[in-house]
Amino acid sequence: MSSRYTGLWFVLPAIIVLGMLIVYPVAYTGILSVTDSAGNYVGMKNFERILRSRVTSQAVWNTAYYVLGSIVAQITLGTLVGILLNQKFPGRGIVRSMTLIPWVIPGIVAATTWAWMFHTEFGIINYMITSAGIVDQPVGWLTDRNMVMPALIAINVWKLFPFVAIMVLAGLQTVPEELYESARVDGATFWQEAWHVMIPQIRPVLVSITLLLLIWGLNAITIIYAITKGGPANRTLIIPIQIFRIAFESFQLNQAAALSVMFFAFTIVFVIIYIKVFATAPEERG
Amino acid sequence: MKPSLIGRLFLFVGVVVLIFVCMFPFLWMALSSIKPVGELYRVPPSWLPEHATLANFWNVLFESNIPRYFLNSTVISLGSTGVALLLAIFASYGLARFRFRGKGLAQAFILLGQLLPTAAIIVPLFVTLRILGLVNSYLGLILVYTIITLPLSVWMLTSYFRAIPVELEEAAIIDGATRLGILFRITLPLSAPGLVAIVVYAFVTTWNEFLFALVLAQDYRVKTLPIGIAEFTTEFNTDWGSVMAASLIMTVPIAVLFMAMQKMFVGGLTAGAVKG
Repeated sequence: MSSRYTGLWFVLPAIIVLGMLIVYPVAYTGILSVTDSAGNYVGMKNFERILRSRVTSQAVWNTAYYVLGSIVAQITLGTLVGILLNQKFPGRGIVRSMTLIPWVIPGIVAATTWAWMFHTEFGIINYMITSAGIVDQPVGWLTDRNMVMPALIAINVWKLFPFVAIMVLAGLQTVPEELYESARVDGATFWQEAWHVMIPQIRPVLVSITLLLLIWGLNAITIIYAITKGGPANRTLIIPIQIFRIAFESFQLNQAAALSVMFFAFTIVFVIIYIKVFATAPEERG
Repeated sequence: MKPSLIGRLFLFVGVVVLIFVCMFPFLWMALSSIKPVGELYRVPPSWLPEHATLANFWNVLFESNIPRYFLNSTVISLGSTGVALLLAIFASYGLARFRFRGKGLAQAFILLGQLLPTAAIIVPLFVTLRILGLVNSYLGLILVYTIITLPLSVWMLTSYFRAIPVELEEAAIIDGATRLGILFRITLPLSAPGLVAIVVYAFVTTWNEFLFALVLAQDYRVKTLPIGIAEFTTEFNTDWGSVMAASLIMTVPIAVLFMAMQKMFVGGLTAGAVKG
């Protein structure tokens, strides 16, 4: 028989590596956030500076807009496509593989390709909508202050809805056939079936995916950084980009750390509330 | 039951739109990569290239740093995938098969790694690596990418191991096999789809990662492909033909990997999620 500690020995290497490269940096961020660049304790001064800056409130608003806008669209579109891919039609396997392409394509590639398609003068999207007579003038997708965020959200949605669709599809495949049959006996239409049979069955999957999307969304920097770097006029400045700018463009590591601490605390609190409200604790799921 | 005519029409339109939306950007990238400059910057644009050329690829392959970055990406992705896989195998086995004090804590801790906003630890990670002398080194990037992919790898593999009947292992214990022997001769071969899923996930995540590379690789000897592609864009000018060619080059290995492993990967990925 194995001793009480055998399991621990198996887990230990992973814990040590994670500890070294996560716990230590997190603790170090905490220290950086309450000191100045010479290492002297300065209390809450770094936090005050960050919170006073007008850019911060704009970044918070932009982040909320970007993350929530993306998630709503990703879940809606992903669920519809998942239901679509669960129907029987010829070539279904190939279509399922094709659906994965946006997700498989590297984020930077998606960003540059869409930036090229959204190009004001030479972009194919403006050509398509102007020649179809939908708009008269080319739209400045990535330069117009009010268009740029929706355009970036669209790219982000395109990138991740396939993931939602595949997860929903996997969830739908576990729905017992009897549930559909009894719904049909009751004379349910397809949409009633979708609403009353499919959605309740895939609810747990949707809950976990939303959490993942939330975390990914809060981390997402690639698409925005590669296309606008936070511009124009800070309209797409999200918090991760602000942290990056403060740290590596203004070289204010301490202020960047203060913002990181607040961002991290907010994320953790948000995630905990979300898990408490919508799901059982992850470790109970296995 | 046969769906109605309207139902089938809905289905058809939906599938066509879906294929178009998913495929078009990729096709447009490929088409743009073989267009000469004159055709790229023309209004109205040509749908298909009229004078297809490999000039953009020539430019990317022989007059840019992309080949070196390709090598860097390969080394770093393979390295970090290997490390993450090894650590994940042991950790998952420990979590799936043993009871021990602090297990819940260990599990929560590993999961926390997944929840961590990468942007929030980039500053101290940069400082830490600078102290260790690992900024601008393969090893530094390999370790950093390991912590990104390890948590989800452990999570996926743990649920895979749990699904394998314990009885198989108990029989082997009675025959006198060691724990490690069991892990490598019985459990791992039975978890092949889960392992494939983790390898694909870790490799692709590392290959595509942008933020850490931006901060921690500032020298062409370790810069990875995403940085290389971003470098084609300057504030005033973008060489779109080369960007599209480089993007295509970066996408090919990932696409091949996915197509080859797709069935196993989707199976392994969804195995943990469906239980909800």
